[in-house]
Amino acid sequence: MTIATSTELICFLVLGAVVVLGSLGVVLLGNIVYSAFLLGGVFMAVAGLYLLLNASFVAAAQVLVYVGAVNVLILFAIMLVNKREDLKPIEGLPIRRLLSGGVCAGLFVLFFRVVITTPWAVPGPAAIGVGATERIGEHLFTDYLLPFELASVLLLMAMIGAIVLARRDVLEVDVGTGDAVNQGLIEKARTPLLVDKSTP
Amino acid sequence: MVTTFATETSGLVSSGLDLELSFSQSLQGLGLSPQVAHLLWLPLPMLLVLTAAMVGVLVTVWLERKISAAVQQRIGPEYAGALGVLQPMADGLKLLVKEDVIPVRADGLLFTLGPVLVLVPVILSWLIVPFGQNLLISNVGIGIFLWISLSSIQPIGLLMSGYASNNKYSLLGGLRAAAQSISYEIPLALAVLAVVMMSNSLSTVDIVAQQNGAGLLSWNVWRQPVGFLIFWICALAECERLPFDLPEAEEELVAGYQTEYAGMKFALFYLGSYINLVLSSLLVAVLYLGGWGFPIPVEWLAGWLGQSVDAPLVQVITGSVGIVMTVLKAYLLVFLAILLRWTTPRVRIDQLLDLGWKFLLPIALGNLLITAALKLAFPVAFGG
Amino acid sequence: MFGFLKKVADYTRDAADAANYLIQGLAVTFDHLRRRPITVQYPYEKLIPSERYRGRIHYEFDKCIACEVCVRVCPINLPVVDWVMNKETKKKELRNYSIDFGVCIFCGNCVEYCPTNCLSMTEEYELAAYDRHSLNYDNVALGRLPTSVTTDPSVQPLRELAYLPKGVMDPHDVPANQPRAGQLPAEVLKSLSLQQDSPQGDKRESLQDAPDQDQPKG
Repeated sequence: MTIATSTELICFLVLGAVVVLGSLGVVLLGNIVYSAFLLGGVFMAVAGLYLLLNASFVAAAQVLVYVGAVNVLILFAIMLVNKREDLKPIEGLPIRRLLSGGVCAGLFVLFFRVVITTPWAVPGPAAIGVGATERIGEHLFTDYLLPFELASVLLLMAMIGAIVLARRDVLEVDVGTGDAVNQGLIEKARTPLLVDKSTP
Repeated sequence: MVTTFATETSGLVSSGLDLELSFSQSLQGLGLSPQVAHLLWLPLPMLLVLTAAMVGVLVTVWLERKISAAVQQRIGPEYAGALGVLQPMADGLKLLVKEDVIPVRADGLLFTLGPVLVLVPVILSWLIVPFGQNLLISNVGIGIFLWISLSSIQPIGLLMSGYASNNKYSLLGGLRAAAQSISYEIPLALAVLAVVMMSNSLSTVDIVAQQNGAGLLSWNVWRQPVGFLIFWICALAECERLPFDLPEAEEELVAGYQTEYAGMKFALFYLGSYINLVLSSLLVAVLYLGGWGFPIPVEWLAGWLGQSVDAPLVQVITGSVGIVMTVLKAYLLVFLAILLRWTTPRVRIDQLLDLGWKFLLPIALGNLLITAALKLAFPVAFGG
Repeated sequence: MFGFLKKVADYTRDAADAANYLIQGLAVTFDHLRRRPITVQYPYEKLIPSERYRGRIHYEFDKCIACEVCVRVCPINLPVVDWVMNKETKKKELRNYSIDFGVCIFCGNCVEYCPTNCLSMTEEYELAAYDRHSLNYDNVALGRLPTSVTTDPSVQPLRELAYLPKGVMDPHDVPANQPRAGQLPAEVLKSLSLQQDSPQGDKRESLQDAPDQDQPKG
């Protein structure tokens, strides 16, 4: 075993442990803020796994999109609505937990079986390395053009939906409650960046 | 971080010095295996760049104090060393020996982790800063994209320290910092994308090499003036420099997310912000001002003097000139940032978001489209 | 369509103006960079206060007639005049006098109105104290004279800008005997008396020609 492969193995073990323990923590921890931060850690560890697979572009994209955007937005949402209130105790919580635990364990057994029985082509195809960026671009704009465009349309729809929800003045009635929207809340007219010279 | 990919050296620039090769060859001469030689080589450039970053911060802090003083017709630090050059060291030493206070109601773990998460990505980004053809830790293929993705980790650290401080000013400061950081990242990335499109590579080395065909005239700033301005404004916003220092606006938020911090943890924030400033300036120099390039290409000078570019002496001189030029350009931009600090008043949060989303983003998109069109129309001038 | 274009034009002009103002501001700060520091290294160097500086008040106990005019003209009736009527001599007998400089605003009304000139302004301004009550000066403390900046051996006195010779901007290394720009009141009076000897017609012209007429007369 050379130095390079042993380093790789150690890195893989550490990253794998971080992913597994981190995601368990995300699900099981009581404090939602801890869960959100742990989620960020898990995303980072996944990026590390990509890096081990010599897919640096995917790793960087993973960090940019999942850690930099998704996780930050989750944290934003948590911190802006962080009301400390105790949830009402749900009836039969232990049984529910037991049931969901059973379902999860079943899924885990299923996946484990799949992993063991599938004839993996080891070692897989050689990593492209630096050329990966170009290859991803090529595939996105040829083979996967339709899903790519569909995804962008989906994002656009979500964005318009967010604008509609955020800007109450475009609607007559509130989307959530059905009450008439107070027109006085209309966003202030845009004030120019600088003092208008024409007005005395 | 480990592997050094083969550089696609363009015909214009010589391969330059390869210190790693000579180092590992000399070690192999002593009877070590190539792997061990490589392993021994690895920490050296990292330590060197870390030291360079620290020294860069010390110089920047000193410059900040002296230039601020000069702008306000004061003298500034004078007694700590000649002209007060030791003042930043004194500051650092003071913070080092100061009591490390963690507020009682704060979340100790997140409180400690926050500053670390702010500092580490910034230091990691120095990985891609080239001071010469082979003078960087690693010429990773994704180069500048690595910096963009790493800088997106920072808001998490800011949110973490803001939340963990258990203080309303800290939380507001952290939220503001994160909002500012993610909204200015988009025009920043678009401005970088236009440069990347022209140089056909994400690697910082290739971006610089592509700019150094005809010295001063071939720098990207002439082909991307709008992109240069957008990048600089966004870099200032990312570094939370005035006029965009809302997250720590002392009149409103005491000190933002740093309010509860003292001692070395505060020093980590302080260090992070200055390393980030130097790094941003270096990257502006790399992306738009020709990186290590001398205004007149060194190859031409060597040619006029009748020297071969591959001669050892010429190579050493070229390397030193490259380092000096990179640092000089970066510090010119640091100077500009400090001057801007005393010129511009702080913007309001709504003005900040307006500027980011309604002004810089459309302009950056337009810049990108125009660059693409120009690249198709004039492939010679715009790297077709 | 036209309205939209106008909006675009306005917005562009706004942006251009903003950039222009930014550059103007940068020019101002850059210009300040090359100016000389105005720093006075305080405990070691001190500015010489001007002649009419209104500093801590000096009081001469023996001159005081306990008339209490200072109390009446003071905006807040600050001076405390402690006297008793001597029945035998039928005269006021002053026992104590004090002014609290933690409250005084140094307006100088008491000095202005004192009939016996027992109050005067000094050039002392270093009134820092650990306890605000120690700023309540009694007649002994009020009677002390401050150390003059020019005679203090541990201090390098610096002249204020208006007191420097013509064309000099830096107060360091200016010889003490070098006169300030313009004429002192006494010099103006001297030149006036010289002119009175000469014929009347010349006087007015030469007065107009005389430099630095803005000096206060007397």
